[in-house]
Amino acid sequence: MSDDFIPIGGMVPLTGASPGDGREFRNGIILACEEINRRGGILGRLLKPSFADTGTQTAEETVRAARRLLAEGVHAIIAGYNIGSQNSEYEAIADAGIIYIHNNTLLQHHDTVMSDPVRYFGCFMSDPAEYWYGQGFIKFLSWLRDSGQWRPDNNRIAIVSGPKPYSIVIANAMAQAAEQFGWRPVFPPRILRRIPGDWRPLLDEIRAHEPAVMALTHFFAGDLARFHLQFMEQPLPSLLYLQYGALHRSFSELVGDKGRGAIVGTVIGLPRDEIGWRFFNTYKQRFGPEATPEIGCQTYNSLHHYAIAAAVAGGTAGPGGAEQNRRLAGILLDLPYRSVSGTIRYHPLWQAAVPYPDATNDPSLGLPHLFYQLRDAERPPALIAPEPFADAAFEAPPWLTPT
Amino acid sequence: MPAAGDADATGDGTQGSRARAFEALGHGLAVWSGDLKLVTFNAAFARRFAGLAGGLAPGLSQRALIEAIEGSSQLVHSVPPEADPGGPPRLGPLDGLTLIFTDSQVLRVECRAIAGGEVSSLFIDITEYWRIQRALERSRDTAAAADQSKSRFLRAANHDLRQPLASLKILIYSCLSATSEQERIEALHAMDVSASIMEDLLGALLNIGQLDAGKVAARIQTFQVATVLDRLRIQFAHLAREKGIDLRILPSKHAIESDRALLERVLSNFVGNAIRYTDIGRVLVGCRRHGKTLRIEVHDTGCGIAPAHREKIFEEFFRVGGQQSGRHSLGLGLNIARRLADVLGHRITLESTPGKGSMFALDVPLGDVWRSNVGEPEINEKIGGEFTGLCCLVLEDDHHLRDALMTLLRRWGINVEIFDAFDDIPAALKALERTPDIIITDYRLRGGVHGTEIVHQINDLLELPCPAIVVTADTSPDLIADIRRQGFPVMIKPVSPPGLRVIMHNVLFEPELVPELS
Repeated sequence: MSDDFIPIGGMVPLTGASPGDGREFRNGIILACEEINRRGGILGRLLKPSFADTGTQTAEETVRAARRLLAEGVHAIIAGYNIGSQNSEYEAIADAGIIYIHNNTLLQHHDTVMSDPVRYFGCFMSDPAEYWYGQGFIKFLSWLRDSGQWRPDNNRIAIVSGPKPYSIVIANAMAQAAEQFGWRPVFPPRILRRIPGDWRPLLDEIRAHEPAVMALTHFFAGDLARFHLQFMEQPLPSLLYLQYGALHRSFSELVGDKGRGAIVGTVIGLPRDEIGWRFFNTYKQRFGPEATPEIGCQTYNSLHHYAIAAAVAGGTAGPGGAEQNRRLAGILLDLPYRSVSGTIRYHPLWQAAVPYPDATNDPSLGLPHLFYQLRDAERPPALIAPEPFADAAFEAPPWLTPT
Repeated sequence: MPAAGDADATGDGTQGSRARAFEALGHGLAVWSGDLKLVTFNAAFARRFAGLAGGLAPGLSQRALIEAIEGSSQLVHSVPPEADPGGPPRLGPLDGLTLIFTDSQVLRVECRAIAGGEVSSLFIDITEYWRIQRALERSRDTAAAADQSKSRFLRAANHDLRQPLASLKILIYSCLSATSEQERIEALHAMDVSASIMEDLLGALLNIGQLDAGKVAARIQTFQVATVLDRLRIQFAHLAREKGIDLRILPSKHAIESDRALLERVLSNFVGNAIRYTDIGRVLVGCRRHGKTLRIEVHDTGCGIAPAHREKIFEEFFRVGGQQSGRHSLGLGLNIARRLADVLGHRITLESTPGKGSMFALDVPLGDVWRSNVGEPEINEKIGGEFTGLCCLVLEDDHHLRDALMTLLRRWGINVEIFDAFDDIPAALKALERTPDIIITDYRLRGGVHGTEIVHQINDLLELPCPAIVVTADTSPDLIADIRRQGFPVMIKPVSPPGLRVIMHNVLFEPELVPELS
């Protein structure tokens, strides 16, 4: 076995607004490196991770982190999400000609890659764009309605977005798809330029429309918790959807049992199948009971997929090795990978994971868009859709159930 | 003649040679007595008919052999020879028979009279010949059908295009010799109508041609019926309004399994006919769920269809006499609709009361909403980005830079407006299709005008100030500081797309992140 290590960059937010997620992203890379190295590395060369902090994930901080890693000569950069950079870091990475796999969950990735596929050959997003949250949620709602699991009083939906591009895109996608599926937005997506401390005036405004559904696409767990506690003071007669952050431990710690009944979705999570549980236990054993494998799985998946593609392509290359990295990128595109989160199959044009059932009807060819319903604080959220991943049934939220 | 297996026992060398040739023939061969009872046979014959009920014992009659073969599981069917009154008589029931077996082998039986009153029957393997012949027959049938279709197409084209073409010739002459502007406009309008009729006719004939040629294939997918209903509304609202018909299309939330384009063609036909044959009243399109089927119904309060015509209206070129005066109809629309419905596997139902109206319905399978395709060919920022649908006013007089910027902004789904000149801002602003959500301006515009001045002028005219970003190639710190002091974020040329995206997002949605705006 060679002592000549392959340097792998981890570009993760270890300070700023999401250090918790950043730690998990780092853990995912560490665990994947350990597993790959135990099996002999990539064609006999061991992986050596190196991490750069992206702080508050602004363009400046993310680009600075990317440049630092490139200066170290990393052969690939693996990242969780850095969603404030608006793809600014792509330029430095494209100039270096290395592989970059992230989970930014942004539609911008499609646009950037498709604008110049030759230049951005190495940039991959190993989860689906946030756009699919919107369309997928409308299908989920319609499925609940059409299958008789939930009988809405009307077809009205109130959609509220935070100020981040991620939230805005999801809200717009929901509104766009709503009418086709028989839903009527009570107003165009309400984009909040500032997250309020007091949500009550907005909730009162929405209450006047009596919507059957309310969706909040802002995603910071703390903000969602504050919103939810105020929502529960006088609940709307609506099904409530909260964006991804409500799956965080910090959300359930803040809202306790009051969270029960809310719907939350994620386009990359950990299905409760044999593969998912095995990873769950391994991750907890390695990083402790407080660790969150549902987040760490993202970078873990990306690095394993990269290692397989690199072995098939005949090896890796650092900055300046675009020719070898183009071969590696071609294998990533050609070779679907059944990760612990489901199948990562890169779309040939978007270079982003294709979601199931949003963009493919075949669960073996897409990453499942999972819908959870929160239960009591001490119980894990129920995974209620889609088949064949669901392990529980939808329950009417307590505020919609006559006492 | 002795049995083949006994040949050597005779001690006769010639006989032995014959017996070996008998076996080496490669085809099944049997010899029958004058009264058509089996005398002997070779190994190929025995292999082919091994396992028949009753076995192949000498004395078996030809008829009994045929019955045994037909009763076995070996045979698909047998084809008797074509009758030939002038030809030689058949030498028994096997003579000329073609046997098609389940293992795909095809044998033709040829019988010959041989010395001593016996009959030989040779079972010739014609499998390859048979396959080629069938393929040739299929090609011939397809070619004949295409030829027939072409002839019908040409006949129809000749018949139906002649009338509007003749009208067009007269109208061209009228137009050329028109003595007043009004006369010319009327002639041109009539020419436009004639051309539209010809276009419709050619379109219908082309559809028929494609259907005849089997070139219409359904691409079944799951989608929301609402998408088709919306398109029908857009397609026919104007026509219905022009005619004073109340067109109502009721919303439906169901997912269905069909071919979006073909389904739309069938329903367009129903709705188009409903409007065409309704003078007063309304046309109603709605859906009803029946178990696993969605029935899409098109009701009208038109003239109705007599019971005698309810089947005929679906035939090619059928037109109801008297009802259609003044209405241009080729008599192909419903035929196309039915044939498309057949391709889709959807059933058409018609209910009608003469004088009161009709209802055409199409039964479509319901689909799984999870599989519903929203009909976007490609998911990108143009259709789903954070800036989609916003309006940006670009003030840039360098055409190359302006075009590049406009291309980028449009790729992000932004509607772009420009000013052609900067000398009359109120008029230029008024001429815009909509009020901009954001302005991107070059600092130095032609004629010594500064972009910041134009933005100030615009904002003086608007109810709410429009945020703006200034781009400049001038990197002078004093200038940049001055622009920022006026409340505008600055970008230095060349502008990078990610950089522009960050600033645009912040200006539009997170202004507290823009120091110049605080």
